[in-house]
This record gives sequence, structure tokens and C-alpha cells, in this order.
Amino acid sequence: MSTPVLSTTALTKRYGRHTALAETTLDIPAGRIVGLVGPNGAGKSTLLALAAGLIRPTSGHIEVLGRTPAADAAQLARVGFVAQDTPVYAGLSVADHLRLGEHLNPAWDRRFAQARIAQIGLDPAKKAGRLSGGQKAQLALTLAAAKRPELLIFDEPVAALDPLARRAFLQNLMAFVAELDISVILSSHLIGDVERVCDHLVVLAESRVQVAGEIDDLTANHHRIVGPRGSLDALPDGIHVIAADHTPRQSTLIVHDTTGRTTLDGAEPIGLEDMVLTYLHRAEGLTAPTLQETRA
Amino acid sequence: MIWLTWRQMRAQTLWTLGLVAAAAAYLIYLAGDLRDTYRLTITDCTTACDDAKHAFADAFGPGLLLIGLVLIAGPALIGAFWAAPLITRELETGTHRLVWNQSVTRTRWLAVKLTVVGGVSVALTGGLSLLLSWAAEPFDGLVNSRFEPLTFASRDLAPFGYALLAFTLGLVVGVLARRTLVAMAVTLLAFAAFQLLMANAVRPHFAEPVTETIEWSDANTVGQIDSFGIGPQGAGIQGYTIPGAWVVSDHITVYKGDGTEVTEDDITSCGSTPDECMTALDASFEVTYQPADRYWEFQWIELGVAAGLSAVLAGVAFWRIPRGLN
Repeated sequence: MSTPVLSTTALTKRYGRHTALAETTLDIPAGRIVGLVGPNGAGKSTLLALAAGLIRPTSGHIEVLGRTPAADAAQLARVGFVAQDTPVYAGLSVADHLRLGEHLNPAWDRRFAQARIAQIGLDPAKKAGRLSGGQKAQLALTLAAAKRPELLIFDEPVAALDPLARRAFLQNLMAFVAELDISVILSSHLIGDVERVCDHLVVLAESRVQVAGEIDDLTANHHRIVGPRGSLDALPDGIHVIAADHTPRQSTLIVHDTTGRTTLDGAEPIGLEDMVLTYLHRAEGLTAPTLQETRA
Repeated sequence: MIWLTWRQMRAQTLWTLGLVAAAAAYLIYLAGDLRDTYRLTITDCTTACDDAKHAFADAFGPGLLLIGLVLIAGPALIGAFWAAPLITRELETGTHRLVWNQSVTRTRWLAVKLTVVGGVSVALTGGLSLLLSWAAEPFDGLVNSRFEPLTFASRDLAPFGYALLAFTLGLVVGVLARRTLVAMAVTLLAFAAFQLLMANAVRPHFAEPVTETIEWSDANTVGQIDSFGIGPQGAGIQGYTIPGAWVVSDHITVYKGDGTEVTEDDITSCGSTPDECMTALDASFEVTYQPADRYWEFQWIELGVAAGLSAVLAGVAFWRIPRGLN
């Protein structure tokens, strides 16, 4: 499991003049549930489509599980992909979809697929076009998982679902990730969902990666520091200021301790959501409003 | 992959098969009727045989023409209704992102679609073409105008090529246009343009036509003058037919024995019937045509042109598809 599931170098994708993804360099270790968060249009879908091999990069390099995405049938078999809005064939029944999966995937796990369909209560004879959004997502998830990939990629799997279906879908996902022992990359603009299911985070905004790492490390190494104005001008090496807010009397900083072990006076922990928002605001060139909030 | 392709095309294939079966049944009935009538009125003809031939041609011409038109329109419809949506519908519903992430490469996915659905299209069209060619045999032998555009395009090998071309055209236009309605419209227009260009501009040049000088006295034994006019501009033949051949010249000027054009005065001063006058003037004219024995050569070339274009179009699709459409 030493090969990273996703490794990119200066990965760039342009559509005409519009840059969807710029100079992205990432290394995601295997065995993680990776959350890819960012606002709409940040480049999440582009990055995932590149990883699935649906599109090719304009420049730069990408490897998934050590190989070029979608290079051949063997590589395709190693990666499961569920696209945004979880497309299924409206005219085909649930059973037809399972047959499709069986015909098109040599490692197809029929027992797993049938058990899952039964577990989520889908009628095999029902046309996929008549399923609810949640059921469609479950069917697409089943198809992607039953081909027994090493990596599962989800592009906004829960975006179209109501809160109940969303919760059910994520619980289900967690359950079989544990069961199948695979790596997962999922994108979402809901930080709460990511916090609940993921252990690795990539924050994408304005076509660029803002920060990436293990969620535990990230929360441990990001701090809010409040001190008298001027007292925070000189910080030790390895402490990066993500956002700064100054009043005449005091300064508030949000910092990233890249050394992972510096002790800072007056540092207090910052939640994952605050941390992500700070990065997103910085990417947009705005002052982070979280700084004005007083913590309860 | 073959299973999925079949599953997706099942409904359309079945009703198309129904239509083709109906056309085939009609052709078989027509073939029997045609042969019976031929034996009775042409083979066993004793009196007024020319009239009998005309009556025969009038009786069976429309039915055969109708099936011929179906055969000419068929490939265009297959291109627009089968091939064009084959990929655009996946793109429009987003299901390409489902199917392209199974353990099957896009190249194989495209190859199976092209072979299975394209193969069925070619087989259905070609089968109907051979059946029509067989059914119409006595009729075509009698009328003897196999180069006639509607006949040429609906007999023997040509429809195989059209079906192949229309199918790959629809597929490629779909890949490039990405939208079903646009792809269907473009396919229909492009294929109609191809048919018109082939018949009018390309096919006449498949081989260097033969030019022959025909003496007026032989005019109606070598072929037949459809109409002939004398006016201030001189004497001209509008339409000359040679059995089985494809006459390329449309307006034919008639010359006297000394090499100058026949004038209106020559005919009015002659005092006899125009026909006798022409013979007296030792008149002759030049006809440019493709001889009847080039029919099969032309059918093969027509098939080859369509197959060659299809190969180029398929190449475009195979180049484009793995490079991503998202």
C-alpha cells in the first residue's frame, strides 16, 4: 500500500481561456477516506474527472494508483467512479444495471451487489428512471463498489439528496468502506459531511489546492492567536499566517504550524469548518469574517 | 459490452426489423406477381408486344420505385435515428460517465457499438437491396436503365456502402456535435448532400466516358432519340438513350456530312420529313456515355468510395473518444 492513490504534479486543465484547475501538486496516501472540499466551480469535478480519466490534462501529470488514469481495462477495473448527479440508464431496470456491471467488470462481486440492493430495499424490476434521487445514488454506488475497485471516487454524491437520504448514504458508504478495505476520494461543499466521514482533507478554491493533509494533523496544527497589536509581528520559522485581522489594540491571526510542534503563546484550537473557511476566504482575497467572531 | 449494446438498442431494432420484414414480404409478393405477369405478357407475347412492355413497366415501376426510395432513405434515417443518438444520448444523460468507468476501455466500447449496431444497419439495408435487385430482375432487364440514379442507388452493392457511411457519419457527427437534435439534422443534411453529389458530380467521372459518333440513319438502332428539335439555333437532340448505358451528354448538336451544324434552313428547304432530310444531309452527332458493361465496376467504386469515407469518419471517432468528452 505504498503507492499513493492519487499523485499529481503541476496538473492543469484549461477549457479554452478558462482555467478549471491550475498547477495542482498533490500526493494522497492509500487507505484514506479523502474529502475534497471547496466552493462550486473550484475545480473539484475537474480534478476528479481527471483522476477517473474522463478528461485529459492540458499540462502536468497525474497518476492514480501509480498509473495513468483509464489507461486500459485493467486500470479501469481498479477505480470506481460515481459522477455528480449519479447517472443511471433511465430505461434499464435495477436488475439490468447489475447485469451491466457483471458483463463489463471481470472482478464483479455479484453477491455483494445483490446483498446491497436487498439491504437498501431497491426493487430489481423497477426502472432506474423511476427511482428517487437517493435510490439512484445508492444504485450508482453499488455499481461502482461491486466491481471491487481499489479506489472509489465520488463527485458530490450527496449534493442532490435531502438531509435524511444524505445521512443514510454516508452511513452506508462508511459501512462498506470498512467492509471492503478501499481508498475513497469524495468531493463535497458540505464541510460537516466531510468532517463526519473523512480522515484526509484537500481544500480546493479558485482552481488551486489551498491546503491538504490528514484532518487530525490539520486541526492540531492550525491555531487562532490573539495578542496585543505588534506583539505578533515576528513569528517563529515554519509558522504561516493564513489570515490576520488588526484592531488598534490587538491582532488576531490564524496560523498554520507547518513544523507541527511549535508552542505558541495565546494559541487556541480552531475547528475544521473555521479553518476551511479561512482558506476559502483567503483564496478569494477577502478578510476572513471568522476572525471577528468571539468564540463561545 | 455486446449485451449492453443489444439491451440499449432492443426496442428500436425490433421495430425496424418489423418494418424491414414488411418490406421484404411485399417484395417477395411483388417478385412472384412480376414474374407471372412477365411470362404471360412478355415471354408469351404474340401481338402488340411494345404496348405490352409499356404496360408491364407502368404496372410494376411505381412499386419498385417505392421500395427503392425506402432503400435510399433508409440509411439516412438509420444514421439520424440510430447512429447520431448512440453517443449523444449518453452525453446528454451523463451515462457516459457511468459506462466509461466500467472495466471496458472507451475504444472497445466504441468498437462494439460501431460493429454491432453498424453491422445490423448494413445487414438490413444490404439484405433489402439484394432482395430488391432479385425481385426487380425481369423489370430491370426489360427497362434496361440501371444507371438511372434512383435505380443505381437502390440495387446491388451501393446500399451497403450508403448504410455504412450514413451510420458512421451519424456517429461521428454525434461525437462532435454532442447534442442529439443537432446531430440528427446535420446527419440528414450531410448524407443527402453526399447522395446528390455522388449522383450528379462524382459518379459520372468514375471512368473516362466513351464518345461515339452516330450516323443519323443508325440513331434509332444504336439507341433512341427521346426528343429532337429544330429552331433558329440549329438542330439538336434533347435526350438520347442507349440501352443499359449512361448517356452523359444532354444537349446534342447534329452535324452535316461536311462537318457544319445542321441549320433550320437546311430542314425547311429540304421539303421532306425532318428524318428523311437528316439522312439525306448525311447528318451525324456525337454522344458521350458510360457503356452498359461498366455497371458493376461503378457499383464497386460507389461502394469503395462510401467505405473509404466511412473509414475516415470512424478514424475521427476513434481518435476523439479516448481524449475525453465531459
